[in-house]
Amino acid sequence: MVDDQITKIKEEGHKILCVENVTFSYEDKKKNKARKVILDEVNLSFSKGKITTLIGANGCGKSTLFHLMTKNLEPSKGKIYLEEKNIRGMKQKDFAKRVAIVHQNNEAAADITVNRLVSYGRSPHQGMFASLSTKDKEIIDWALEVTNTKNLRNREVLSLSGGQRQRVWIAMALAQKTDILFLDEPTTYLDIRYQIELLEMIQKLNSDYKITIIMVLHDMNHAVYYSDEILGLKDGKVLIQGNPKEVITTECIEQIYGVRLKVENMNGRKVVMTVR
Amino acid sequence: MSQKTEKEEKSLLKKKVVKAITAFVLTGLVFLLVILWAVNTGSLSIGPKELIEGLFVQYSEKVATIYDLRFPRIIISILLGAALAVSGTLFQAVLKNPLTDPGIIGISGGASFAAVLVTAFFPVLFAYLPLFAFAGGLVAFLIVYTLAWKGGISPLRIILVGIAVSTMFSGLSNAINLMSGGNQSSVASIVEGSITMKTWEDVRTALYYIPICLILSIFLSGKCNLLSLDDKTARGIGVNVDRDRMIISMTAVLLASIATAVVGVVSFLGLIVPHIARILMGHNHKLLLPYSMLLGATIYLIADTVGRAIAAPYEINASIIMAVIGGPFFILLLRRQNKYGG
Repeated sequence: MVDDQITKIKEEGHKILCVENVTFSYEDKKKNKARKVILDEVNLSFSKGKITTLIGANGCGKSTLFHLMTKNLEPSKGKIYLEEKNIRGMKQKDFAKRVAIVHQNNEAAADITVNRLVSYGRSPHQGMFASLSTKDKEIIDWALEVTNTKNLRNREVLSLSGGQRQRVWIAMALAQKTDILFLDEPTTYLDIRYQIELLEMIQKLNSDYKITIIMVLHDMNHAVYYSDEILGLKDGKVLIQGNPKEVITTECIEQIYGVRLKVENMNGRKVVMTVR
Repeated sequence: MSQKTEKEEKSLLKKKVVKAITAFVLTGLVFLLVILWAVNTGSLSIGPKELIEGLFVQYSEKVATIYDLRFPRIIISILLGAALAVSGTLFQAVLKNPLTDPGIIGISGGASFAAVLVTAFFPVLFAYLPLFAFAGGLVAFLIVYTLAWKGGISPLRIILVGIAVSTMFSGLSNAINLMSGGNQSSVASIVEGSITMKTWEDVRTALYYIPICLILSIFLSGKCNLLSLDDKTARGIGVNVDRDRMIISMTAVLLASIATAVVGVVSFLGLIVPHIARILMGHNHKLLLPYSMLLGATIYLIADTVGRAIAAPYEINASIIMAVIGGPFFILLLRRQNKYGG
């Protein structure tokens, strides 16, 4: 039956990334040979050109799923397809031409300038000895432009504020010119103004440049407001997947997070009351 | 207002470029002067004009003597200084630890032990000495890497494990040195890090391996830059992190091992040079590596020549000079950047 579902998903054609029967577990060293299962037979798919947000409580496996989909980890069982290709067999460089990732907590060399850091985003498209071509430079300019970091280009990354820095890391990922952009909790450590600025920027990237966005967010209201689709994980399994208007309910939030919160309707949008 | 700061940033950037170019040119000049000084240190002395004439235009007995006696060690000093400095820079990039040096983390110790072993017990294999030294350096590196890398990068742990490995190997080398009579000069010279009696034969060993590795390291500078990012971020932009780390490490081990096979363990050069280079050049390896090469060659040649001049007719090994200057420098670095301590 699962196979039927998968073929169906593939036939639909607009799914850009498919996770098929993925299990991830590791040996727990404390308890002899007992395997700790982080993800259990997960089946997922991500629509092309959409914003999909992963939500879930701490330790539900969303970070692991994120690392599996970005080739930082390999599944114990199952496969992940980028369009028709199993990502396991893809070269890191080829993968980086299709998929860009902005991680949490990034580290950069002490004196690196914004310009040079963003130019690193071109490295999957470059040969070993090649320097930046005119096209590379145009793309770097574009990435700086859309992230509104052009005026910072000669500054050192370490001298920037948290919000500016986050935009620079996104600019580097954009310079890869990929179809898919992964963002791992991009709003963490930012105050609310910068959170909203950043989310609006992400929305713009999606609408203007048709970049498929897959991100992890902690704030449920942000997830509801800015996503086309929501994926809720619980204990290594997919609990909900679908349009935020439909899937976000008091019951499902209670199941995912273990806390009962009111969900109100405001102007046709769902708003989760994050206080009891 | 942001426009203005942008301009300021640009001029700041320009100043940095000027600083880097000035440092390059000045170090280059110092380098040439030190060569001239090194050629003239000793009982015979010679002017630059006479030297160039004697080398390239017509035979002169004086120049020929200097050529045979002093040139091997000058060339060796230059190559080894560059090799050790680049090795240190590469190790620092790959281990993300600014306090690494092939001497401190035990690579030279491992290489030296292998070299001593071959010299003392299998002199037939003497021709393959560099390869054995490389194997020894590799073993030391793998030990340090597996023991210190586990559970993330702790700068302090790498150094502690390195010191243990290095001390162990130097103990073993000393034991073999004594077992083989202690006066077998070729064994002793590797243990003590001496370049007193170097001939054209030794130059050839250094010339076979070091320039190739140095050129390779220049090609690796882009990879070194990308590895300064977090591993996951580097992977995200298509870097094969494990493979690149391995290639850079092997180059660094090879450079340090060949250097050790020729002159023995030299500590601190690979630590001091990249530090000074970073102050002058910044963290971009495309500048850092070539400059480290030049500065390493200059400093080691100065150390060797000072060692020859300071207590003439007796000679003090360059490795001793390096240890005496390098020790306090290392402590200074530890104090200045107290984050390494905790």
